[in-house]
Amino acid sequence: MRSDEKKNLPSSFKAAVTEPRRTWSRFKYPQSVIRYCVYLVIFVFIVYSLEYLNVPVGRFFTMFGRLGDMVTKKYYPPEIPYVLQKDYLRYVLETVQMAYLGALFGILFSLPVSWFASFNVTPSRRFAYPVARFIIMASRSVHEMIWTIIFVIVIGFGMFPGVIALTMFSIGFAGKLFSEEIEAIKIGQVEAIRSTGANPFQVFIYAVLPQVRVALAGISIYTWDSAFRAATVLGYFGAGGMGWYLKESVERLETLRVSAILLTIVCLVVVSEVASAWARNRISKMK
Amino acid sequence: MAQSSVKKNSIDLILQHRRRTKTIRYCLYAILILLVLWSIEITIIKDTDWERIGGLGTILKGIARFFPPDLSLIRYLFKPTVETFMIAFLGTMLAIVLAIPVVWFGAHNITPNRALTYPIGRAAMTLSRSVHEIVWALIFVSAVGLGAFPGILAVSMRSIGFISKVTAESIEDVDRRPIEAIKAVGGNRFQVILFGVIPQVIPVFIGNAIFQWDINIRRATIMGLVGAGGLGLTLERQLLMYNHQGVTTVIIAILLIITLGEVISYYARKAVI
Repeated sequence: MRSDEKKNLPSSFKAAVTEPRRTWSRFKYPQSVIRYCVYLVIFVFIVYSLEYLNVPVGRFFTMFGRLGDMVTKKYYPPEIPYVLQKDYLRYVLETVQMAYLGALFGILFSLPVSWFASFNVTPSRRFAYPVARFIIMASRSVHEMIWTIIFVIVIGFGMFPGVIALTMFSIGFAGKLFSEEIEAIKIGQVEAIRSTGANPFQVFIYAVLPQVRVALAGISIYTWDSAFRAATVLGYFGAGGMGWYLKESVERLETLRVSAILLTIVCLVVVSEVASAWARNRISKMK
Repeated sequence: MAQSSVKKNSIDLILQHRRRTKTIRYCLYAILILLVLWSIEITIIKDTDWERIGGLGTILKGIARFFPPDLSLIRYLFKPTVETFMIAFLGTMLAIVLAIPVVWFGAHNITPNRALTYPIGRAAMTLSRSVHEIVWALIFVSAVGLGAFPGILAVSMRSIGFISKVTAESIEDVDRRPIEAIKAVGGNRFQVILFGVIPQVIPVFIGNAIFQWDINIRRATIMGLVGAGGLGLTLERQLLMYNHQGVTTVIIAILLIITLGEVISYYARKAVI
């Protein structure tokens, strides 16, 4: 009955009295179209890049069988005695030390850098801010393995280039998180200290640092954890530590040893992660 | 009189406690410093070949080898850059797909079986995050051969852990009321998840996926070092030819592509959240 009425009405009028839609939809007209366009673009880009990279998609499904075969035939059982020998354990200890030192130096350097790179408390917005931002961005965007390669070329093999590479990595990693933390502080204390005639350094020490101290401790532990994760494979490119053993075994195709080394890496990283999660929990409770 | 003595006692106690914590703190500092010194002694002083490094001049000479950047390389850089970008993109997409079951298993309140599937989900998250991308790449290169494909797989395996961990945590403190409403109108377990949980966590999930994509570009740049494609392959080639100036060019390209990725991810995250 109602539809009959509608048919007789002029078309301009019909549009004005459209009844509410019966089916509910989360996104209204223009939004929904934009949404589908985005989906379409993403889908087309996926297909195009699969074509461009010549990815054998079919191999994805046969891969699991091959992986299983490989693991059971070649990599099992892991050669546990190999990773229990004294030299290897010494290298593990050295990896821990390398990560510890790299993270420590990185955190120490990233304190001033993040101070300069936080827009609200930086000593000079025109000069120090962009420079510090660039330092953080550059050390963050170059992967730690590339840093390792560069420093191995410049300095030579050994743990020293590894420590420097991890320092660069930690400057980027901790610097970004620190400066985000500093940019979120309350400005009241900063102004109070500033109004007493303090210079920027005193402002940083007495107004900024006490506010972010706890967060900085948590971030530092997280940085150490990430640095350790990176340190386990730094040796693959010539810096010291257990990565060196990994490279040796991979290149000699001693797969049983490779699996044993991978096992130790996973175990150590899991242990360090659990420890760092526990420590961060304790610290955030102190707040 | 008695009161004041009590007060004095308590003040003494507080002072004593303070002194004790102070001593413990200074002991901790001392241990930390000793640890640092010990590590420095072993890793830097003993292990380094100071003869080979020589003075500051040699180091500067070593650094000078990287400059000026080799500009003739630029025209060979376009294709690997696009490849890197695509590896990161496809890896993130694959990670999004693979993270869904991990999230489902690893979130405590929606996991199908708390005794069996919950530990599996958690273990998958930890394993994926704890193994470095180079190691994943080594594994996949030996499983599927050279090319971009192992790079995609390695990048995605590495980012599953982070995406699913954050998403599972946000599922665990999801708002209970929509879920109860859907249960009240007779929704089954699947419908509860689909209409009660997913709309609440989808911004977190997508936001994290975009963030991971940004990081994955960085990871994709080194995949070539172990035989998966992208800019890393060009870098490796320059290294093998001792063309250190070319290395600088590749690093500049990496900086550019990562800046681009950061800008895109900033705006994409703004649009989603």
